[in-house]
Amino acid sequence: MNCDELRDHYELYTLGIAEDPEDGEIRAHLERACPTCVPGVRGARELITLIGATAPAAEPPARLRKRVLASIGGQTGSRWNWSPVWAAVAAGALIAAVVFNVSAHRASAELARASAELQRVQAEFAARTRELARLDEAFAILNQPNVKQVVFGGGAPQPPRGRVFLDPRRGVLLVASNLPPTPSGKIYEMWVIPKGGKPVPAGLFQSSADGSAVHVLPGPVDVAGTAAVAVTVEVAAGAQVPNLPPVFAAAL
Amino acid sequence: MLLLPLLLAIEFGESDADLVRRLQRRDPRAMAELYDRYGRLVYALILRVVRDGGIAEDLVQETFLRVWNRVQGFEAERGGLGPWLLAVARNRAIDYLRSAAGRMRNAVELPETDHPAVFTDMEKELLNSDRVRRVRVALEKLSANHRAVIELAYFEGLSQAEMAVKMGEPLGTVKTWVRTALKSLRDELGTAVTA
Repeated sequence: MNCDELRDHYELYTLGIAEDPEDGEIRAHLERACPTCVPGVRGARELITLIGATAPAAEPPARLRKRVLASIGGQTGSRWNWSPVWAAVAAGALIAAVVFNVSAHRASAELARASAELQRVQAEFAARTRELARLDEAFAILNQPNVKQVVFGGGAPQPPRGRVFLDPRRGVLLVASNLPPTPSGKIYEMWVIPKGGKPVPAGLFQSSADGSAVHVLPGPVDVAGTAAVAVTVEVAAGAQVPNLPPVFAAAL
Repeated sequence: MLLLPLLLAIEFGESDADLVRRLQRRDPRAMAELYDRYGRLVYALILRVVRDGGIAEDLVQETFLRVWNRVQGFEAERGGLGPWLLAVARNRAIDYLRSAAGRMRNAVELPETDHPAVFTDMEKELLNSDRVRRVRVALEKLSANHRAVIELAYFEGLSQAEMAVKMGEPLGTVKTWVRTALKSLRDELGTAVTA
């Protein structure tokens, strides 16, 4: 189809309601950077975007900002948000300054402190690396085309609630909110419950201060053979069988 | 008045293009600025679609995380960060509606990140209450049926066939209403939207 025939379908395409063959044709024209269709769809996008901006004003809760930034490993309220690498460099520079510029006695004390700081930074860096890997796993599951999603806790008044995503190749992703803090020495444990079988341990996690949690069980999972995903509170080392009733269970 | 701080931030702060470049360098403070600039709009849009504050919070988090993970493919020079962010937010919210209605998640992919060139730099328009007010007035001038099809398409993600079923009208009638409504909006806005 030529561009003139597609012109009246740009806004429908941008709204997501264009039908074939026009929908596929516009995609193809955009793929080859068509000099007519790219600006045409861009103009349509402006109109459609402005419709979205007419949604009634709503104030998000203050905790949401912290939650969003925490999810990408950022910190809030600090002007000096050094990356771990730069912090490690700074700690190294501190060590060098101590060695070459102060007396041996003071240098020893400073060196000890710097060494402790370096260890702290290294531990933080390792923790962030683990967190990044976990988020990568979570997004890999979310991005699968056939991921199965289960919503839980929607009906109760003050529920732990959220969603469970299951992908046969990538694993299980749990996103929960409104989780009460666990008692001292306890931890949340996820269970994958097969149809007609016993619960299988699926990893330990803690909720954050705002009651939210993201937990991933990486690896293949038998989605069709799974009856439910549940969470219990267990001792800190975890358990092989659930010892308490589930905090919540998401039935598939 | 709520938009005044945002306008000041745009007028005297860095552009969306600068923000994109910092996001691509994985600067968490850039994400904080992105949230401060667009978080309210994103939350309002998602809340309008899903009508549940808790679910809206989950989807806002998912939206910003998705942008964080996909920003490397975005061309900073072209701008359009706000429209892209709103497109991602709308997709997440409508995807949730579809899954909640028993339809498969990701079954229909709305245009979102496919072609960055189609996202115009609109940060001032998006955060300009006057421009948005003109669009709102234009929507209110539409007939009830014309406004309904635009809202069903944009905020509920219904196809034209689904709208016909929901409204109990022939598909051809709904298609005519959609086209007429879009043309009316274009004509009414005039220079508000640059084609």
